[in-house]
Amino acid sequence: MRLNTIEFLLQQSWEGVVRNGLVSLAAVANIAVALVVLGAIVLTGVNLQHMASLQAEAAVITVDLEDEADTAEIQAALLGRQQVKEAKFVGKDESLLKWAERIGLELPEPDPDRRVKLITELLGGNPLPDSLCVKPVDPQDIPAIAAEAKKIPGVAEVRYGEQVTEKLLTLARGTKISGLVMGLIMGAATLLIIGTTIRLTIYARRREIRIMQLVGATNWFIRIPFLLEGVFQGLAGALIAIIILLPAYSYAQGYIDRNLEFINLVYSTEVLAIFAFGLVACGLVFGAAGSALSLRRYLRVV
Amino acid sequence: MIHLQQVSVVYPNGTRALSNVDLHIERGEFAFITGASGSGKSTLLALVYRDIAPTEGKVIVDGQDIAKLPPRRVPYLRRKVSVVFQDFRLLPDKTIWENVGFALDVLGASRREKHHKVPLTLELVGLSSKAEDYPRELSAGEQQRVCIARSLVNMPPVLLADEPTGNLDPDMSWEIVQLLADIAGQGTTVVMATHDKRIVDRMGRRVVQLVQGMMVRDAKEGGRYDAP
Repeated sequence: MRLNTIEFLLQQSWEGVVRNGLVSLAAVANIAVALVVLGAIVLTGVNLQHMASLQAEAAVITVDLEDEADTAEIQAALLGRQQVKEAKFVGKDESLLKWAERIGLELPEPDPDRRVKLITELLGGNPLPDSLCVKPVDPQDIPAIAAEAKKIPGVAEVRYGEQVTEKLLTLARGTKISGLVMGLIMGAATLLIIGTTIRLTIYARRREIRIMQLVGATNWFIRIPFLLEGVFQGLAGALIAIIILLPAYSYAQGYIDRNLEFINLVYSTEVLAIFAFGLVACGLVFGAAGSALSLRRYLRVV
Repeated sequence: MIHLQQVSVVYPNGTRALSNVDLHIERGEFAFITGASGSGKSTLLALVYRDIAPTEGKVIVDGQDIAKLPPRRVPYLRRKVSVVFQDFRLLPDKTIWENVGFALDVLGASRREKHHKVPLTLELVGLSSKAEDYPRELSAGEQQRVCIARSLVNMPPVLLADEPTGNLDPDMSWEIVQLLADIAGQGTTVVMATHDKRIVDRMGRRVVQLVQGMMVRDAKEGGRYDAP
């Protein structure tokens, strides 16, 4: 493409934005609103996902062993499975200490060994078995691993926070799916809005288009300024959305940190940079796609 | 230059706009297409600049049958066949100079080429002094001349004019038609659709008369609006 053609096209698109100032402004505002909503959904989804995975990561399977079981063999059998990340031996004494702590048993002894002895005496023996603490690679596999572990000889019982884990996993999956669906709906809405706006612009400039067609401009030549106009609008909308979302998110993060300590929001610069980049990319794609869609109808020749 | 062979046009709503028209116009010729409103004048011109395709028959322009021209080739035909309309179709927020240059812009002309051709064309239509004015500051006759300048600036071999004097008073009309005749005199094929009886009679050029889509008369040199 020749340089003066590029210059002409850029000038045409810019003129389009300026001349149809109000319509352009409406388009930019619409895109910004759509992207803010879309971005908010994405941020919420990312955080729910993040929380779910944090919880799920903490999820472990406790494999209780029979008294005479070969610990090393069972450990090896579990670690032989690809889904298992870790299988740590937890002795019955350690379990006893943890249990005592959990129920808030107050003992005057600071030394762990003596404490164990004291509790054992109190209870007349340690009722707890030795166990293995198994961590999965993917929390989704917990039920499967548990089922397999039960079959290993020497395993007395397998326990995991069945209900909690499964609920969390369902929540994580649900967030993924509903986020995707919402995202798609918002995406389609944004596309429609941009398409309508560009159609208005095209309508406002139909005379010019007609003249261009009559003096022999190719369809691409006519399209490019409108496409660029859509891209400009998409870009501007995305920038506004970022300017609104990032400070709002940062504010929300500060508030939640202060007041709701048990919630951990994602706050890595990297993630937010990717997010901002994604918004800009969405704006660009929506802008271009929206105008392309409405142009297709308008520029059809015999 | 322009050859219509057994051309018929039926619009999607069933209206028969043209029936079996045979018309041959040579290079550099000046011809009037006459007839009442709805007789098919505009349809005939639209066939030549490929705004519509014929239902039947061939339309040959500059040796090329354009009846089945694919849409993406249409812009290249339009660079050879330009059109002037009754309603001028100028861009209101561009100056006269820019309006004429616009036709070169869309063809990717260089700045130098524009600065060479636009003043030349404006001079040809007698509007050199109005180059920086806006269309609304010009009279109707002047606006039509800008429109003609825009059509001529890339030197097309064919110029079509659809009722170019429809919005003009008799004096202005006469000037415009004189201008078109001059252009034809320089080798451009000019076809003008009109129902202005006075102009047709005064010019005494070739007259092709349409009645309800049928070509009823083709009077060569010295044609009159009404059949003798």
